[in-house]
Amino acid sequence: MSSNEIPGAHLFDGVRIADFAWVGVGPNATMQMAFHGAEVIRVESTRRPDTFRSGGPRPAGDHSLDASSYFAKFNRGKRSVAINLAHERGAEVARRLIASADIVTESFAPGFMDRLGLNYEEVRKIKPDVIMCSMSMEGQTGPHAKFRGFGLTLQATAGVTGVTGWPDLPPVGTGVAYTDWVATHVAIIGILAALDHRRRTGEGQYIDLSQFEASTLVLDAGVIDAANTGRVARPLGNRDRRFAPHGVYPCADDHTGSDRWIAIAVTSDDQWRRLALIMDRQDWLESDELCHTAGRLAAQDALDDGITRWTSQRTVDEIEQELQAVGVPAHRASTVRDAHEDPQLAHRNHWWKSDHPVIGEMSYESPPWRLSATPPPMPRRSPLLGEDSEYVYRELCGYSEAEFHQLMVDGVVE
Amino acid sequence: MSQTTDGALSPYSAIDLTDEIGALSTMVLAGLGVDVIRVEPPDGHPSRQRGPMLREDQDSSLYWAQMNAGKRSVILDLDIEADRERLGTLCENADFLFESDAPGAMAERGLGYADLRDRAPQLIYISITPFGQDGPKSMWAASDLIGHVSGGLSSLVGDPERAPLRPSVEQAYNITALNAGSAAMIALHARNLTGRGQHIDVSMQAAMANTLGNARLYWEMDGIITKRAGGARAFADRATRIIYPCADGYVAFVRVPASIHSLHRWMTAEHGDPQFDAEYWANIPIAGDRTPSSEEVAELEAEIEAFFSTRGAQALYESGQQFNVMICPVNTMQDIVGSPQLAARAFFTEVDDPALGHLKVPGAPLKMSATPWQSHPAPTPGQHNYEILTPANQSQTERV
Repeated sequence: MSSNEIPGAHLFDGVRIADFAWVGVGPNATMQMAFHGAEVIRVESTRRPDTFRSGGPRPAGDHSLDASSYFAKFNRGKRSVAINLAHERGAEVARRLIASADIVTESFAPGFMDRLGLNYEEVRKIKPDVIMCSMSMEGQTGPHAKFRGFGLTLQATAGVTGVTGWPDLPPVGTGVAYTDWVATHVAIIGILAALDHRRRTGEGQYIDLSQFEASTLVLDAGVIDAANTGRVARPLGNRDRRFAPHGVYPCADDHTGSDRWIAIAVTSDDQWRRLALIMDRQDWLESDELCHTAGRLAAQDALDDGITRWTSQRTVDEIEQELQAVGVPAHRASTVRDAHEDPQLAHRNHWWKSDHPVIGEMSYESPPWRLSATPPPMPRRSPLLGEDSEYVYRELCGYSEAEFHQLMVDGVVE
Repeated sequence: MSQTTDGALSPYSAIDLTDEIGALSTMVLAGLGVDVIRVEPPDGHPSRQRGPMLREDQDSSLYWAQMNAGKRSVILDLDIEADRERLGTLCENADFLFESDAPGAMAERGLGYADLRDRAPQLIYISITPFGQDGPKSMWAASDLIGHVSGGLSSLVGDPERAPLRPSVEQAYNITALNAGSAAMIALHARNLTGRGQHIDVSMQAAMANTLGNARLYWEMDGIITKRAGGARAFADRATRIIYPCADGYVAFVRVPASIHSLHRWMTAEHGDPQFDAEYWANIPIAGDRTPSSEEVAELEAEIEAFFSTRGAQALYESGQQFNVMICPVNTMQDIVGSPQLAARAFFTEVDDPALGHLKVPGAPLKMSATPWQSHPAPTPGQHNYEILTPANQSQTERV
């Protein structure tokens, strides 16, 4: 070990990732390494573009593959090479790229990389110490390996949807591709652990990440409970098994045009007394039943009614300030605009600006962690499709200028 | 140390002082081989009292068993100077310290990053808090629900006529913990280059704000505030239904133009009648470029719902996927336990828990070919006091 200072931008200098993954999980994972200097090369094609390149939002009327801010969000700091893998010479280009890489990532349906001759067994022949990470819906093996899905449906398979809803209504799920943000971190941790193992031992390996299996982690005790007792956790609305009152309550119109709600979570008897004091509820303060959690859990309906009457008379700003001033957990149910404008997130400089020749200037998320010694700089913008093709074909794959142009003419570069 | 010989991260150790917001981060590292030392107060960690319980008694927490699998336990009373010193000694040989106290609380006990940095320069010190170490909300009172709503996700979750919603498992805590694990791995890489650790400040609010999909982008670019739409995918100012009832529960099905004809092929096959509603499907409004009217969408959804309602969720999954229809069951926890896919991949494994006996537990969240995930039980309080603390360094409380 040396004691040299390594700037955060260069932690992964010399680490190259041939990134065949697409959509959410894989690109989100490799982006965190790109922020710190890994050379991440998205393998793309106009024939089979990343679904997010067709998504929104995008500048009005621009349907081009370079105009999606959603793609931009997941691919900052990376390069893009166009390789038509359906072309007979596409796999040859991919093999040359892999030979120059340390890490190969992919998230196709199982079987696709086999058909290209690029499964792990083949890839390790090209690059013996490679780390390859596949990130499919349900893993590479098993009767459902080839079943189709994406984050919006996978969260249902993985059990998140079933515990999200009101007890008297159908479950709703999270409304976003929630499991993408779970599997992403399992992938990052696994890939970096494998990289560390390789650094110490010289040994590469294959990671078969099932987004289904990875996502069960966030169910905490739900699965182990069902496996050992047969009990099945059900959705509780905003209530909690341990705490009361615990909910999201309507607020008075604050003339911002927003639907206003305040979350209040009383997690101790002390917080309960302070809430009752603020609400000037002597009857609640004097109740022997309500001074302990079990009594409050039994009285939830009445407590929720009383709190709703109180919050409905006040604006969300007033309630947040009053309750936080006395240490009662409370926060507005932030809209996406509130999150965008949130003073705490602004203090952390959470939304990073990025300029882009097609999309223009937009802000995108930064990591939710701050590194004191090696913070990453704001990354380069996301690449245009095939923007780095000449660099990758010529510098990394070793094609001559004439060969590169022939590959363009032949439709391999597209 | 015998638990941790073969994992990808087996040379490393972590001290775990976290509450529920951080427990999952060290659990994942333990599965990868890190020697995680759970530091518990003399009467045991508070989350040992948290349900669900395996038995009637309050000493059989399955929550504890799951979230602390593979860790070792040492009891230290951090209100006692001698035990704080013992923790400092442990830090000198540790790679990570995870804590989730309020900002400044560790420093008050002489255990902040600045206190340990000179003594343990290699240490990666991870602080996990609701809002981060500084800033206008850093001292705000919080919980999982507060983390959930403060990042904005709840505004996209729930039925439009009711309050914004959180999942009934603690997603904000668990997502935050996984983020902390990623950050720790990046810092480990930096440490192995420079020899120096650092302080990592993880914010639950920021972790949740990063789950907003493209909804925040629609605000910034188009001024649209996406709103919760029940069992539907809210997409800017539109919503596409996802959740449908079936004979024994619910399924998730995404109606995209590309899959509509697959759906029809599947329905005709199931009905055994290739002419089944042929006229309707031949002119299905959803398949073209035209945006269907709400009446047309309602008619189509009724057609789909009638089909799903006669079949069970697992059967719909098995048969629909054969027709390339993007459908899946809304699994309950019991469905997950019974999943043929998880069984084929030997996802569940068994451990002998020192307190709970024989347990069936979820196994590897990822399969690593050279350094497989390791499933071990959670520790009893202070189970590893003797092996972790040298005899001359035994905790006061442990000797009692």
